[in-house]
Amino acid sequence: MPPSQLKRLKASLREQGILRPQESKKQKKQKTQNGGNKDKRVNRTEALNSIRDQFNPFEYKWSKAPRFDATSVKNPGGKESKGSIVGRPSVRKSMDAQQFQMNQLARIENRRRVGGILDRRFGENDPTMAPEEKMLERFTLEKQSRHKHSMFDLEDDNEMELTHMGQSLSLDAPAIVDDFDEEIEVSDAEDHLSDGGPRKRRRLSSDEESEDGESGEDRPEKKKSKHEVMREVIAKSKLHKYERQAAKDDDDDLRETIDKETSSIHALLQGMGRRPVAASTSDIAGMNPDRAALLNGTDKLQAEKEYDKRLRQLAQDTRAKPTERSKTEQEIVEDKAKVQKDREEKTQRRMQGLPESSDEEEVSQASGKLEEDDEEENPFGLGIPIQKLASDMGVEDEDDFLIDNDLVASDSEIESAEDTSSDDGSEESGEEDDDAEFLQGILTEAESKQSEFLTGANSQVPSLIRISKCPESHEELLDMTEDVNDFPEFIKLIRTKYHPKFGVDNKTKLGGFTISLIDHLSYLANRKAQFSVLESIIRHIHSLAKNGYQFEISNRFRYHLKVIHESRPMALTAGDLVLLTAIGTIFPTSDHFHQVVTPAILTISRYLGLKIPQKLSDYAVGAYLCTLCLQYQRQSKRYVPEVMNFIENTLCVVAPSELSKHPGHFPYHVPKESFRIEMAIETVRRLSFSDCLPQESGQEELKAVLLETNLKLLEAAADLWSGKAAFFEVFEPGLVIIQHLSGKKCKPNLSPSTQTSVAKLIQKLTLLLQQAQLSRRPLELHHHRPLAIKMAIPKFEESYNPDKHYDPNPDRTEASKLKKELKRERKGAIRDLRKDAKAVAREALKQKKAKDEAYEKKYKRLVAEIQGEEGREAKAYEREKEWRKKGRK
Amino acid sequence: MPGVTGDAALLNKRKRTSADRRPSKRARSESIEADGQAQILLLENEIFEAKKNYNNIAKLIKIFKDDKGDADNLVVAAVSLCRVFVRLMASGDMVRRRGSTEKEVVVIKWLKERYTEYKSSLLVLLSEDGLESTALTLCMRLLKSEGEHLLSGQEYSFPGSFLSEIVQILVGPESSEAARAEFGGKYVEEYDDIRYYTFKALKSIPRGYQLPSDRSIFDHSIEILTAAESVPESKEELEDFYISAPKKKTHELYSLAQHKNRAQEAWLALMDMDMDKEQRKLILGAMTTSVAPWFMKPELLMDFLTDSYNAGGSTSLLALSGVFYLIQERNLDYPSFYRKLYSLLDSGILHSKHRSRFFRLLDTFLSSTHLPVALVASFLKRLSRLALNATPSGAIPVIPWIYNLLKKHPTCTFMIHRVTRDLEAKEILENHGLTDPFLMDEEDPMETHAIDSSLWEIVMLQDHVHPNLATLAKIISEQFTKHAYNLEDFLDHSYSTLLDADLSKEVKKSPAIEFEIPKKIFTKHDVGSEVEDSLLVRLVDFS
Repeated sequence: MPPSQLKRLKASLREQGILRPQESKKQKKQKTQNGGNKDKRVNRTEALNSIRDQFNPFEYKWSKAPRFDATSVKNPGGKESKGSIVGRPSVRKSMDAQQFQMNQLARIENRRRVGGILDRRFGENDPTMAPEEKMLERFTLEKQSRHKHSMFDLEDDNEMELTHMGQSLSLDAPAIVDDFDEEIEVSDAEDHLSDGGPRKRRRLSSDEESEDGESGEDRPEKKKSKHEVMREVIAKSKLHKYERQAAKDDDDDLRETIDKETSSIHALLQGMGRRPVAASTSDIAGMNPDRAALLNGTDKLQAEKEYDKRLRQLAQDTRAKPTERSKTEQEIVEDKAKVQKDREEKTQRRMQGLPESSDEEEVSQASGKLEEDDEEENPFGLGIPIQKLASDMGVEDEDDFLIDNDLVASDSEIESAEDTSSDDGSEESGEEDDDAEFLQGILTEAESKQSEFLTGANSQVPSLIRISKCPESHEELLDMTEDVNDFPEFIKLIRTKYHPKFGVDNKTKLGGFTISLIDHLSYLANRKAQFSVLESIIRHIHSLAKNGYQFEISNRFRYHLKVIHESRPMALTAGDLVLLTAIGTIFPTSDHFHQVVTPAILTISRYLGLKIPQKLSDYAVGAYLCTLCLQYQRQSKRYVPEVMNFIENTLCVVAPSELSKHPGHFPYHVPKESFRIEMAIETVRRLSFSDCLPQESGQEELKAVLLETNLKLLEAAADLWSGKAAFFEVFEPGLVIIQHLSGKKCKPNLSPSTQTSVAKLIQKLTLLLQQAQLSRRPLELHHHRPLAIKMAIPKFEESYNPDKHYDPNPDRTEASKLKKELKRERKGAIRDLRKDAKAVAREALKQKKAKDEAYEKKYKRLVAEIQGEEGREAKAYEREKEWRKKGRK
Repeated sequence: MPGVTGDAALLNKRKRTSADRRPSKRARSESIEADGQAQILLLENEIFEAKKNYNNIAKLIKIFKDDKGDADNLVVAAVSLCRVFVRLMASGDMVRRRGSTEKEVVVIKWLKERYTEYKSSLLVLLSEDGLESTALTLCMRLLKSEGEHLLSGQEYSFPGSFLSEIVQILVGPESSEAARAEFGGKYVEEYDDIRYYTFKALKSIPRGYQLPSDRSIFDHSIEILTAAESVPESKEELEDFYISAPKKKTHELYSLAQHKNRAQEAWLALMDMDMDKEQRKLILGAMTTSVAPWFMKPELLMDFLTDSYNAGGSTSLLALSGVFYLIQERNLDYPSFYRKLYSLLDSGILHSKHRSRFFRLLDTFLSSTHLPVALVASFLKRLSRLALNATPSGAIPVIPWIYNLLKKHPTCTFMIHRVTRDLEAKEILENHGLTDPFLMDEEDPMETHAIDSSLWEIVMLQDHVHPNLATLAKIISEQFTKHAYNLEDFLDHSYSTLLDADLSKEVKKSPAIEFEIPKKIFTKHDVGSEVEDSLLVRLVDFS
């Protein structure tokens, strides 16, 4: 049997050294001297606490001891542990009850109560608070509510203050002193620190001080406290604020005076006095009096008249508006330069295959797929449509110009009928020179060629050309131009008569005409027309393209290219050559990708690459196409392998003697009949366009011409591609061929001029090749930032905790965190609910108990009362009986 | 004439009732020709009714042979004769039995003579235009019933002589294309026994004809031989027989080896003939699909292939796949294979129409990571050099190919990125520039010093005129993030496909227009103006 509680308590007290045998005085003294007294007291309370704990084992809640010590962080050393105290249930319970009493009880009690007054006074119902405390509380709260504004709010100072007996109750100002004036100067001086501020300030302050007559100049300057500085700053800003307000007030005053005069200004603006406001309308507030009058219908007629009048005024107003200021010459030059620069930038961007304007740039990584490239690298149409662009920038518009001029010349009726719009005029004046020249050129050409054009049978004056309708197809055009000998003039007339501004469907008509013009171009070229005529047609097409027909024109060119592609890729006609030339001038050939130019280049290179020349004219066509190709690339300098192949092949074929070994890697096609130059010709003419057509005569001469032309082409190509990386490889075979040409076997058969050009070219190529070799460096293409290697090794956790989650997936971590929180909250909520329910039950029980008790008390009282009464009555009865008995006796 | 093919079909089903009903039908539809054809059918029916009417056969043959004027009658006669003989064979009237009388023997002999007569004229019909398909169907039909019913005592006999006659006609110089194609597609490819005996027949034909000047036999033989594409891989696959299969399981038709032997013999016989370059290419083209798989001993092809490979040009290109097949399958050790391969990279290769085929093979040959770097570098450098003069379609596959090889042989990336760190070398570079160390004329790919060179050619191609090619070439200087490009996507381009791709697209975005309208295009500028004449005007005279 264990010892009793009391005995155990005594034993443990003794153990802790709280109970001990009495100490002698001497011993006590010694201890105090050692200073162990304080220590002892602390130890004592601690010991007492632990003993208390020991004897109340159910007062505490213990955490579970870890199952395995090694897996626990809390006790890694492996020391045996019992767990720790995690809660004190009884304390907790009492605290909860208290909390409940404070928070919920009133609410529960008032649950079914309606109305009443809520007392929100501080601590009014709190008996624990002393009256002073209550007042203090009120004061602090009031202060706090004042200070909830921003700390930079300057307004708060102006607010009402609590005062007592006229004295401020504010904390920081012991006395209310308006220090406004004296501090402004100081702060002002601070403002001008830059111009010797400190010194000035010192002088100023010393002045003041001397005025006050307090002390001399030698008084050391007092360093300002932070508080003072702040006050100065505040004062300064107050001053500024005041100034601002004053200015604003002035403005307001001014505005008011002006506003008063508004009505008269109105009248001035409208050119008439303000109508007296009808009395009847005045009652409709906030409505335009005119409108109100109209609504009322008092003077409808007059109102309508008024409306018309105002409308007319409005129209005249716009006309009377001042035009834009005419620019000075310098400004015009600057504008032009800007436009030019803009244009060049755009060309550059297109050349690199970027979108036209930089803000639309969507950086699309070039992927390997060819098909995708096409889509993505097509930079056109993203930007502003060309037509709009042109008119915005005020560039030439031949269309408008043509009209005006022609109207003057031919038809005065139209001119008088409709005045030209003002923007036409401005554009015209802007670019008059160019247009005039353009038109002039056409006119002179037209006049000079009119007699010999086409058949030459007619000698009509241009102005006599009858135009019945706008030709919209090539057949119609052919019908109409049967007896027209001045074709450029004809185009001009059509363009004038069917200008889009003169009719609704003129735009489509002219579109059809444009298409037929392109057809006609190749038609005429195939019939050996004058090149001046072709030139003017091309220029007209170009001008139409700039004036909104770019879709029609490019589609028609593409159609022609398609026809060539499908029907005669290896047998180009003169018309095709002219069309290809036209494409080269009308469209920007430097673009990385262009809907017309790219197929055109492919058509050319297809001929150059796949054609196996059989006749000299084939070589001539090739030379022409090579020239075109080089001209296409004059700006972008892109490499066209087929051109080099064709030039070298032609040189080898035409060379007076065969090369022993063919240099380079171009495909060498041995022609069926030999085209070698057999004898020298005195003078070598230029290659003629007519050489491209198959013909029989002049074969020998043509060979020499071809040789000469190809030499020039080689030179041009070398110039064009001189900076390229593989220039050496590309042109080395060419040099070998030319050196062969200057050799013994070939030289005698060449004309003197060719000999000199060969010699020159050898010199030039040698030099260029030398340069290329000198400037050649090993390739360093891959100076890229190295790519990071993807990590696949699992991360090692330095202080791993099995209870923690090390999920690398952030989403999952987040989710699990939320789940955990939800669980915890749920538990907490349930606990709270239970707690409340318990408290309510407890309260209810308490109340019931109280009620029962009261009832019992009352019952007992009543019983006692009755019993008392009865007893008294019984006693009285007894007494009476006694008394009667006695009386009877 | 709609009846003919229908007849043939019905014939196969051997429906007597429909045959009886036919005359009335035909009489309705074709009243004009009804006379002759009705007569033919009448004769045919009589034959079936009684033996004494066998003489009608002679009449029919006469119609068949004589009636040159009316092709329809001829066909009808041929068809009905075929029916007659098939039925006679099926009923056993054409086979001599043990107990047959002397009279019967005479009849059988007579019938056989008529049959031979009919066959020979049918074979003539085979090479006639328009009728060849019917004739071939009839021939094959006869062949089938002959093989099934005319057994001369044995258990199984294939009418080999008749087949070889057919084949001889088909291979002959004036045979028709359509019949050959039908024979190849419908019979040789489908039926194992027909194929077997066709090979047998073909083996003897070239020797039999032996007319070196006649190229057509050769071409026609190849046509039939290449038709047999599906090479059986195991015995179980030998089960499609035209004539009911032999019952004996050890018959040669059931042996895969025998089949292959026959094919091999046929091909070898063909290769023994004189052939020109085109014919050689024809065989080489079919080498991996329909020649080599038939060979029991592909080693026998070795001489042919090495000869072709050494021939140079496109023949070598075509032989390459055959040689590769031998290397792969038969462990052929081809001395200095890569050197030979390297020599194939000449100026024509990127312009050749076989370049896609070559690229596929080249990709395989160089896919090994165990190849010496110097060798791979030589191939890279040489091809990029060739791409400088190639058409876009030729240059397009080169670039992803180079990318793939660089990825596979990272040491070769020195060719696109080489930083000179040595100060002395740097100075030399500054002063004297750099001559390309690569030796283009060196034939040994190990000795070209290509690894010391750089791929300037690819950088030049980045400025190629074709936008897609230029963009593609830029992948070499981008970071190598992609594992590999699929070479198939880049092969088989041509000018026309590129043009098609460009021209088939609608113009959606507004096309850019050159801003300045040139003053002069074809004519020279005025002397006073400062504008320079364009190259075109300077070089070409437009007047």
